[in-house]
Amino acid sequence: MSENTSVLSAPKSVSAGGLPFLSARVGMVLLVGVLFLLPFVLKGSWVFTLGVCFANSIGVLAVSVLVRYGGEVSIGHGFFAAIGAYAVAILETRIGLPLYASLPVALVLGVAFGVFFAWPSRNLSGIYLAVSTMALALALPELINNADAWTGGYEGLYVSKGIIPGLKMSLQRYYVALVLLIAVAYVLARLRHSRQGLVLLLARTHPAAADAFGTRRVWARVAVMGISCGIAAVYGAALAFASSTVSPSGFTLWSSIFLLVGSVVSFYGLTLPRALIGGVFLTLIPLFLSGSGAWIPVLYGLALLGVILIGHYAPKISELLHGRSKETS
Amino acid sequence: MSGFIDSLSGIALDLFPLIWSGIITGCLYALGALGLVMIFKCSKVVNFSHGNVAGFAAFLIYGFSSGMIFQLSWGAAVLLAIVAVVAIAFLSYAVISPLVFESDLTATIATLGIGLVVQGATLLIFGADIVALDLPVPRFSTSILGLRITGYDLTVLTVAVVTIGGLFFIIDHTKLGIAFRAISSNAFAAEVCGLNLRSVHIFAWVVAAILGVIGALLIVPTTFLSATTVAAFMLQAFAAAVVGGFASLPGSLIGGILIGIFMNLFTFYVSPEFSSTFLLGVILLALNIFPNGVLAKVGGTRV
Repeated sequence: MSENTSVLSAPKSVSAGGLPFLSARVGMVLLVGVLFLLPFVLKGSWVFTLGVCFANSIGVLAVSVLVRYGGEVSIGHGFFAAIGAYAVAILETRIGLPLYASLPVALVLGVAFGVFFAWPSRNLSGIYLAVSTMALALALPELINNADAWTGGYEGLYVSKGIIPGLKMSLQRYYVALVLLIAVAYVLARLRHSRQGLVLLLARTHPAAADAFGTRRVWARVAVMGISCGIAAVYGAALAFASSTVSPSGFTLWSSIFLLVGSVVSFYGLTLPRALIGGVFLTLIPLFLSGSGAWIPVLYGLALLGVILIGHYAPKISELLHGRSKETS
Repeated sequence: MSGFIDSLSGIALDLFPLIWSGIITGCLYALGALGLVMIFKCSKVVNFSHGNVAGFAAFLIYGFSSGMIFQLSWGAAVLLAIVAVVAIAFLSYAVISPLVFESDLTATIATLGIGLVVQGATLLIFGADIVALDLPVPRFSTSILGLRITGYDLTVLTVAVVTIGGLFFIIDHTKLGIAFRAISSNAFAAEVCGLNLRSVHIFAWVVAAILGVIGALLIVPTTFLSATTVAAFMLQAFAAAVVGGFASLPGSLIGGILIGIFMNLFTFYVSPEFSSTFLLGVILLALNIFPNGVLAKVGGTRV
């Protein structure tokens, strides 16, 4: 399935453009600074929306990791997000644990379930992962609703315990989501240059070479799925904390597909700005279209197709424009 | 002793009707699965918009025949809906065709986009309401050896046998079918030999779309029609395709019937509330035990 996924890494020139490394770093610091100061200028409802938006950005990163490092696509990441979200909510309502204690539990559970579900399709082409994750997403609502003693059924659960004493809860929701997003983006940036990250990329692009260096493709596949699902669980935890509620309506097949749409719209980017593009897309469009819900899937579908086709044609058009011929391909 | 025999015959009395109706619905799952497999075999793309398009077609038939859009006879409505679906298939393939040869993963993601658009269009045009769409089948029912066989059962069986038989005949004996098989087994060699990949791909998309419409039409009378029912029915089709190996047409037929029977037994004996979870379990189990489908173990693949 992933023999030729050059389209996926199309806009290389954006990240590796003419800007020197230093000014890119300054830009990142500026962006983070602005995000930290935003709650002082914005209205309360926008602070809430942006918190949810940061959480969604983490979800977008989770899907993008799987595409980038694994060359695979999941349309069931809502399941792993639900694991994280319900871990946080249940630990709080049952034994009163706050987020900093339940987040590691969520992360571990997410990784474990990710590995468990990647296992059956470890030797098969990527479409089997897509199909089995689709079944996962469709099975999720009935699992949640039938475990209503724990999950609260249709009504869901509330997450209301703060973790930073003295800070207003609305600000906590914003900053926790922001810090988690930055942490995930930082870890991913480190992974890209780490030995393990390079091994995973090698296993995806040149499986035979990776084999020769002692990396088994099965191991790489399962590891990527584990990382991706761990991030998805963090996304669920962040979403639960930022939006203060957890309910099955937030984890349908459609919400999983929307995560994929966000990932495509951000060109599968693994950096903070790219993740924010995906998160903003996922959070703000439903907000603007709240009066006419049926337009949301249409718009998302068109955006998905549009971005994919742009990703397909843009390199060819720029090649034409710059008159470059064979040495680029 | 007689109590034991009684309970045995009681189980048999339950079991035969369950298996019979499982075979009937299994034929419908097979129709859905065959469409998925046709497209996957020749272009390595998984068409996630299959269920949404089939559901849209069922709604179109409802709209054309109920007076919501037109007041046509049932047959004319079906014909018109099939024309519309074939047009959608052409359009979908036109969007995907630049991607197919570059990356099948990207093309598969693009089918999700098409599915989203079609789903949204269904909601926009027909709303989220539940409607009833009936088949004009003879009201007839008879009892053979304790089995209640209805006109609906026989209609489904006949339509499925004729459609699937026709499809296998086309694939086995016509020029187009031979081209399809050639491209499925080795696209590069087939192209070198002068076959047109695109026309075969379009053939697969069109056939898949029509199979989807037939499947949707026949499944709707057993439940009702809403914007999500047919798309949900496609999970069974996906499960059938996975059990059959995803690249084998006879395999997906057997997979469909197996899924139909297992689903019936599971909902009757265990629980009707966990049917999607059950399908998930079947998919995971099938991937582990028969990664290449149930038929691959027994012998080579046909088609």
